[in-house]
Amino acid sequence: MSNKIACSHCHLEFSEEVMIKDDEHYFCCNGCQGVFHLLSDEGYDSFYAKAGDIKLTPPTEQYEDSSNFDAPAFYDRFVKVNSDGFREVSLIIEGIHCSACVWLNEKALHNMDGIVEANINFTNNKANIVWADEVTKLSQIIDMIRAIGYNAYPYDAQIQESHANKERKDYYLRMAVAIFASMNIMWIAVAQYAGYFSGMTQNIKTILNVAEWILATPVLFYSGWIFFRGAYYGMKTKVVNMDILVATGASLTYIYSIYITLFKEGEAYFDSVSMIITFVLIGKFLEVLSKKNAADTLDIMGKHIPSEINILQNNTIVPCKLTEAKIGDIVVVKSGEKVLLDGEIVKGSGSFDESSLTGESEAIHKKIGDSVISGTVSIDADIHFRASKDFEHSTLSHLVHLLDNAMAKKPKIEQLANTLSEYFSTVILVLAVFTFIVWWLWPHSFEVAFMVGISVIVIACPCALALATPVATLVGLSIGAKRGILFKEAAQLETMAKIDTLVVDKTGTLTAGKPTVCKENIVKEFDKNLLYALTSSSKHPISQGVSKFVEEEEFKVYNFDSFIQHQALGIEAKIENTTLLGGNAKLMQMHGIEISYESEKTLFFFALNGKVVAIYELEDSIKSGAKSLVEDLQSKNIDIVMLTGDTKNAALNVAHSLGIESVLFEQSPEQKADFITTLHTQDKKVVMVGDGINDILALSSADIGIVMGSGSDIAVDVSDVILLQDSLEALKDAFKISRTTYGLVKQNLALSLVYNGITIPLAMGGYIIPLIAAISMSVSSLLVVGNSLRIKLQWKYN
Amino acid sequence: MDGWLIAMMLGGSIFLGGLALLAFLWAVKNGQFDDEEKFLNATKYDTEADLNDAVNLERKKEKLKKEYRPE
Repeated sequence: MSNKIACSHCHLEFSEEVMIKDDEHYFCCNGCQGVFHLLSDEGYDSFYAKAGDIKLTPPTEQYEDSSNFDAPAFYDRFVKVNSDGFREVSLIIEGIHCSACVWLNEKALHNMDGIVEANINFTNNKANIVWADEVTKLSQIIDMIRAIGYNAYPYDAQIQESHANKERKDYYLRMAVAIFASMNIMWIAVAQYAGYFSGMTQNIKTILNVAEWILATPVLFYSGWIFFRGAYYGMKTKVVNMDILVATGASLTYIYSIYITLFKEGEAYFDSVSMIITFVLIGKFLEVLSKKNAADTLDIMGKHIPSEINILQNNTIVPCKLTEAKIGDIVVVKSGEKVLLDGEIVKGSGSFDESSLTGESEAIHKKIGDSVISGTVSIDADIHFRASKDFEHSTLSHLVHLLDNAMAKKPKIEQLANTLSEYFSTVILVLAVFTFIVWWLWPHSFEVAFMVGISVIVIACPCALALATPVATLVGLSIGAKRGILFKEAAQLETMAKIDTLVVDKTGTLTAGKPTVCKENIVKEFDKNLLYALTSSSKHPISQGVSKFVEEEEFKVYNFDSFIQHQALGIEAKIENTTLLGGNAKLMQMHGIEISYESEKTLFFFALNGKVVAIYELEDSIKSGAKSLVEDLQSKNIDIVMLTGDTKNAALNVAHSLGIESVLFEQSPEQKADFITTLHTQDKKVVMVGDGINDILALSSADIGIVMGSGSDIAVDVSDVILLQDSLEALKDAFKISRTTYGLVKQNLALSLVYNGITIPLAMGGYIIPLIAAISMSVSSLLVVGNSLRIKLQWKYN
Repeated sequence: MDGWLIAMMLGGSIFLGGLALLAFLWAVKNGQFDDEEKFLNATKYDTEADLNDAVNLERKKEKLKKEYRPE
């Protein structure tokens, strides 16, 4: 063995003789050498010291022409103009391994003319670049990133995502102010409480009050602004929400405390003002943290539908905006591309994947004269087709429109805490007013009566109530995340616990989605290499299933003289003097072979020179855990319905062996969604579990859409819960977690209500002094948090 | 005890604390904590050269603004 040497740029190790030697440095390829020299010439060599021994990806030299990035259509879609008039783009940078990579990219970009800002996030490799378009172009920026050994491509910075981040940051700032002020007020309050018991002069008391006043003001008006806003909207819609309680409670207390401070008598309650706001704000912040960035349809359009298509004009292919393509345009589709308009093929042929419409993964062969449907994907077809509809009226656009509707109409189950807090707030406000009136009429001064009334609001401070749900759901979310179950929004845990119907897709969800051989009948000995060669050259699932079954380690490679795929029949091939036939009974009969073998399962016949030599029976195998899932859910009184696009026989077989009674077969995507809407009208709460594009309408109409992690991108986008492990065990866990969490929510709410049930009468009787009010507030919140942590620990040891 | 002494000490410490809070708010708004990895790594890499770079970038921005976006 020759000794291995690390490349000076990428640090990958190769043997010495294959390396390019350059002075004292060794390089594995020209790419690395180029980048290395560029970096030393530009004075960025300290990159290597920073990167240490981290192995980098050697730069590739084959990139598509970057000038595409300057096309107006591209700018329209990805480049924004910011408030200063500079251009702004979001890029994903490929090849970032370490912080030194970030440093290098930023440094190189900063030194480019015309770049105003370049900020790369190491955690997600996303870069935000601002530049003056008069000086440099986007293509030059991307060229620069490529030159130093990385690659970059733009992405649509989702409006939703940045919006959510902004909201989070806003809450963060408000919380920082509230916590800072509350902590300082608490120090001062300690002095006040000590003075309350040991006596202190009015002079000192006023000084402390003023200090608290100064600190409480930003808490109420900056941090608490959210509650005033919420109270305003609540009053506008005539709902007594918790925001009204918090806002009135805090501001009344604040005004009263100012009065006390100025007239130098009684006790000020600035500490309560800031504590209420701080605690409830923390609860709200937790909610915001676990909110889902709802994928709006605009996003789905942008993410999954290219904005440009290629059309043929005067025998040249030109890019054209999708929305500007007209009826009659000749559209060019290459293999692997998505068909975006409906039309009729005028040139070429090949197979298409229509699973987005039918749900079945079988490829469909199309030739000149056949119609192509938008939303389908060309597997191996290079075709030209004449558009018969514009984009607005295409099937794809119709589908997007339906999806839009389904998501807008998605039912929102009212959360327990919201309903409860509405009643709670009303009751407390009424009680407070009542207490004030009673105390005032049974001769007490206005101040005393007012103070007792306020103490009711302060003691009933909904801190614990506000924390009850968010803390519990946060626990649920983290338990789920550890088990590969991602809930996109905290509220869904509660919704899912209330579910009474599970609608499940068959293919890919209950079954593996791939037929496997369950029985082999060899009629006559034959060379299995031939069968393997035949079946492995077709992508049809049945053919793939057989090929997997006969697969062995060492196989002879055959080159067929001819090879024909008969759509919906099978494959025919010739090699030397042998004719190979593989497919269903129909294919055999077409070639004059009599078949007497019968079975309920899917059959695959293999014939050599007109004689059947082997018969394979195939079936779609049911996933492990399916049976126990069905039993488990049935024991929880959840109805299970199976929806499938598959045929009656296949559907009934699976349903029968799992014990599912309600089955709907041969369903189109729209029928699936309609079925769920029908269930809704019967007041059912529905979970839909699916995996494919054909399920997206149903997934988005259901109360909760659950998608298997291996599902298609769009399905993952529109769903509410993602099962990363793709197993039915995880689905069972998801149900369990949601129920535990909901139980926890109820416990927490009960705790805080019981707590208030004890303290409110005390407050109404006038027995609450400021110290007790403050302590009680913290204790109730601690109880709720402690209870939630208890559940978390329980799950940890399970 | 003299009330003024307490008032001064309280006022002084609240003022100083407030300054620190404002600095923190400014840093959050500025996006300095958005990328925690980078934020931590900065302590390893920040050198005089990086500071110069940052200043130069600011200057460049001003210059480009003046050149191409006259108010």
